[in-house]
Amino acid sequence: MSRPFPYAYISCPCAETSVADPARKRRSRESPQKASPVKPRPQPQIDDEEDEQTFDPRAPRSNFSLYPPEQLLYCEDCHQIKCPRCITEEILCWYCPNCLFETPSSMVRSEGNRCARNCFNCPACTAPLSVTTLENRGGDQSGPWVLSCGYCMWTTLDIGIKFDKPTNIRAQLAKMTTEPSTPATRTRQMSRTFGDLKSPLSMYSSIDDQLPGSRPDNEDAPLDTSIPRTRDARFAALKAFYKDQIAATTTSGVDPGDFGSAFSSPNTLHRIMSIYTATRMTALYGSGNKKARSRPPMMREAVSANEGLAIPRPDSESTIIKRMASDDCGWDGLASIEQRSFQSPDARFVEDLLPLPSLLRTKRSKRCKSCKHILVKPEFKPSSTRYRIRLIALSYIPLATMRPLILPPTTSTSLPSLSTAAAPNLDALTPQRPIQLLLTLKNHMFDPVRITLATPSVTPGRVASKVTILCPQFDIGANSDVWDEALQSATAPDRSSRTSPYEKVAEAGKVWDKGRNWTTVVLEVVPGSLPGIKLGKAAIDSDDEAGDDSDENEVALDWSGKSQDHGQQLQPDEDVLEIPVFVRMEWNSDNQIESEEGIGSGKGLGGDSVKRELAYWKVLGVGRIES
Amino acid sequence: MSLRHSQSARSPPHTPQHQLRSNNNSFASNSSGSTYRVEEDAVIFELGSRWLRAGFEGESEPKCIVGFGPEESRRVGDYRGWLRGTAAEQETPVRLATPDEWSRPYELWKMNLRDVDLGLVEDKIERSVRETYNKYLLTDAGVARLVLVLPSVIPHPLLSSILTTLFSRWRFPSITLLNNAAMATTAAGLRSALVVDIGWVETVVTSVYEYREVATKRSTRAMKALIQETGRLITQLTNGESQSGDTISVEFDYCEEFASRFLWCKPSRSTGQDKLADISDKRVSIPSPSDPGSSYIDLPFSKLTEPVEKVLFAQDMADSDLDDEEKPLSLLVYNTLVSLPPDVRGICMSRIVFIGGGANIAGVRRRVINEVGYLVKQYGWSPVRGKVVDQNIKKLQDLKLSRPPPPNYETAKEQTDSESSASEGGYETADEPDTEIDPIEQKLQRARDKEAVPVVQGVLREVETLGAWAGASLITSLKVRGMVEIEREKYLQHGLAGATRDWDHGHKDAKDMNTHSQIPDRRSGLRAGGDRLSWTLAGWG
Repeated sequence: MSRPFPYAYISCPCAETSVADPARKRRSRESPQKASPVKPRPQPQIDDEEDEQTFDPRAPRSNFSLYPPEQLLYCEDCHQIKCPRCITEEILCWYCPNCLFETPSSMVRSEGNRCARNCFNCPACTAPLSVTTLENRGGDQSGPWVLSCGYCMWTTLDIGIKFDKPTNIRAQLAKMTTEPSTPATRTRQMSRTFGDLKSPLSMYSSIDDQLPGSRPDNEDAPLDTSIPRTRDARFAALKAFYKDQIAATTTSGVDPGDFGSAFSSPNTLHRIMSIYTATRMTALYGSGNKKARSRPPMMREAVSANEGLAIPRPDSESTIIKRMASDDCGWDGLASIEQRSFQSPDARFVEDLLPLPSLLRTKRSKRCKSCKHILVKPEFKPSSTRYRIRLIALSYIPLATMRPLILPPTTSTSLPSLSTAAAPNLDALTPQRPIQLLLTLKNHMFDPVRITLATPSVTPGRVASKVTILCPQFDIGANSDVWDEALQSATAPDRSSRTSPYEKVAEAGKVWDKGRNWTTVVLEVVPGSLPGIKLGKAAIDSDDEAGDDSDENEVALDWSGKSQDHGQQLQPDEDVLEIPVFVRMEWNSDNQIESEEGIGSGKGLGGDSVKRELAYWKVLGVGRIES
Repeated sequence: MSLRHSQSARSPPHTPQHQLRSNNNSFASNSSGSTYRVEEDAVIFELGSRWLRAGFEGESEPKCIVGFGPEESRRVGDYRGWLRGTAAEQETPVRLATPDEWSRPYELWKMNLRDVDLGLVEDKIERSVRETYNKYLLTDAGVARLVLVLPSVIPHPLLSSILTTLFSRWRFPSITLLNNAAMATTAAGLRSALVVDIGWVETVVTSVYEYREVATKRSTRAMKALIQETGRLITQLTNGESQSGDTISVEFDYCEEFASRFLWCKPSRSTGQDKLADISDKRVSIPSPSDPGSSYIDLPFSKLTEPVEKVLFAQDMADSDLDDEEKPLSLLVYNTLVSLPPDVRGICMSRIVFIGGGANIAGVRRRVINEVGYLVKQYGWSPVRGKVVDQNIKKLQDLKLSRPPPPNYETAKEQTDSESSASEGGYETADEPDTEIDPIEQKLQRARDKEAVPVVQGVLREVETLGAWAGASLITSLKVRGMVEIEREKYLQHGLAGATRDWDHGHKDAKDMNTHSQIPDRRSGLRAGGDRLSWTLAGWG
């Protein structure tokens, strides 16, 4: 994982209550257990048993339910952790991340969800573009303006675009790129003929429209301004055409939906029979006007470019191929997939790329999906980073932190092999060498919490690491006033562990250390051996792991037999040692003003406190096993 | 509509009733139409096995295209995707993988659902849709109705997963399903077309006639095989020929990038050679796959056409060696055309529409058209081949000395505007006397000549489309209601199982009661008689 070791992830409990497919029950009844014998599914589909299963952090699905703890929210009404999957979001405002101007909601759609001012991103490298002048004569900024990228030195000059004014660039750009007949574009085309001949915008219907000399039949393509050239224009032409057709073929004139349905009707036998008469044919594919008086014509298809029909030129593709092969194109002259992703689908060359107006961002409030209570509500102003409501999970669930336990050189009784006091390198853990970790849970609630940890003794997956939590059940104090601790520590003698951790030995059943609102327990991990590399390693390390060798070697032999199989190769991140830990916390909380609706599932202890519990899977990333 | 009118013009005694009913029905549909007109603009998703395109109705392009690759499947907070090109990424060793394993993480589903974890598919869809709304669409998810553009064949468990995820995660009032082939046809401005979808797993050739699919043929020669072949090519380039087994050791992203930038295809087998002769000996340099940052390797430009030729057009393979599901594209198109009735064929062959990722490879479209033309010239429209057939034809020709040679592609061209003669070519029909003068036909011909734009028919012609997504956007913005409109409450009750399947029953009802009732029916996605309780999956059912 990209996070530095050690780390902790929390699996949102919503993953267990999987989506109830209304038809799934029925289906499973019809065909029970159709799992193929060759490859069993990563997770069996029986929903009822999922609760009982050990969470597997390596299952492909767990990537979608694991979240860093700081990204989770907590619903105070459901008493449950809420991940981005179990909340609904409402947009509060739209703003440009570049200029921080807020866009009113009525304008967002018409501006295409992008900044309408001068904020542009570089089409080549996505860095923000700045408006600069071409001629800087003695400080007075005048003359043509361009957008230029400070990172990759791309400018709009590369695609032959200059702006007359330094303001309202987006409108200027739209004018130049969408209306081919405007003078601006003509000058642009002119300027291109002087400069880079091979840089048309592919908005034009075909490449060879642009290349001078490659117009075989000019009379075929007259400079008719009404012929749509851009995608948008073609779309508009098609839309207008269909609208006309619908209006012309609808008898009532108020029924706009007839166009699709009239011909999908199943009494088509009749119609298909009659299609063999020639007039009907004409009515369909030509413009049958003669009989239009007596009956409304059938809808026809678009027949001319004005109506949106586009017939590609026969040599348009070979023109592209020639351009691809030309010396000044090359790999860098062709746009990458990433660059093309927000451009017109026809953009193929780097010269076809247009500067992209910055995508707007939103501020959203978040609600619990099940009870609709607001979990997060930021301030409306884009520039403000404050929140009105923010129920983050970390203020409710204990924060888990880990660090390796550095053993003193003297304690060689329990672990004879570890003689160094140096911290183990978590990025390269030695297989089969035990390490001890200190797991600290810090409580942020104002109630003391009782924690029960559970972990499978062997981690799931092929790399079986052994895990032991030395003290799985413990209490954490309340997050009381900081002064309490200070006062307590003044009176009570300070814990020896703070000052001299080396004197302690991890003991089963005992808490390692404890503070005002935190408790530390020891986790002992024996990293498993990686498949494939096992044989060589085992020979080297055999003196270290005398006890384990017998059963491990069997496994190693098993793997070595299939080493040709690619499925047996080490998968990405399979060498990461991740421990699923089931955390169950119980606490008595003060009864809220609202009477609890039984969600908290508590029998009231005393008059005003209610027993609550919360359980979830946590994944502790310890380190990467050395191969 | 003309039907409705002609029926009433014939004026059987039922006419008033018909009018009444149809008015009633159209009134009903109008009211439902007007209720959703005040709604927000519908959101349109086009979902394939690799990409999700999303945007609003009435726009010509999707707002975003989101993939389903491993980068999108990372854990939240795992930012390794941003380390691309840095030293940290260089450290990770490239693993050998079989081609299928290699491309597997990049696809959302496989048609064989047996080893697809549908839960994972649901997770991926949920995350993609959520992020699409948050990042690109910038509206509240689930407020406006949703239009889903899907391929016409999609496994039911998968469809159910998609719909369940969308309905249970957000509050979409309804989801309309649209067929991508028909949408591509609409976006080309046509009513009938031969849609060649060079997609990820399969190339699907669909004949759409009057907005309906009438024939479909599939081939596995598509982008997945092409990218895998590209991977093999680059693996060979880097490792030399010593590479053992069928494994790929370069990165998928690199190969896809390479394929999308540089793969091309000779526009035709013979004539293109001389046109592009000057470039075939050119060399281009591509970044070295092992070290894309700094070093380059040189390749002959003509080498870049090899994967395309080999995968999409099955070069160097005899027809007899090809299985039914791996026909090269040109043969697939030809076979689809042959299987069509002559009238439909004549219309469809002049309206060939290419969609899908493969259509972006320069030269592929022209090549398909040219090769189909060649096949037509060679064999006509007869699926019967072989020596004996040829001999028989020759014998027949010898017997009829006076007859002209059997009509083939050329005559089909001539018959462009005499579509009634029903002979698009083909040996059998050619024997019918063509010279008989039909006075009615002549009259009609005269009438038509006065008014009509001639129908382009019988010639091979490609028409450009704006794509299935744009078609759906167009259709939706014209307020045409989809055939399959699934309402939230009804779906949540029974899931896909709640869909009505007995279409014939519906038809019969409709015919008994009222011939027109199907029209508003279709529009509202409801069954005859305003039975609002049932909905249908139509073609997906």
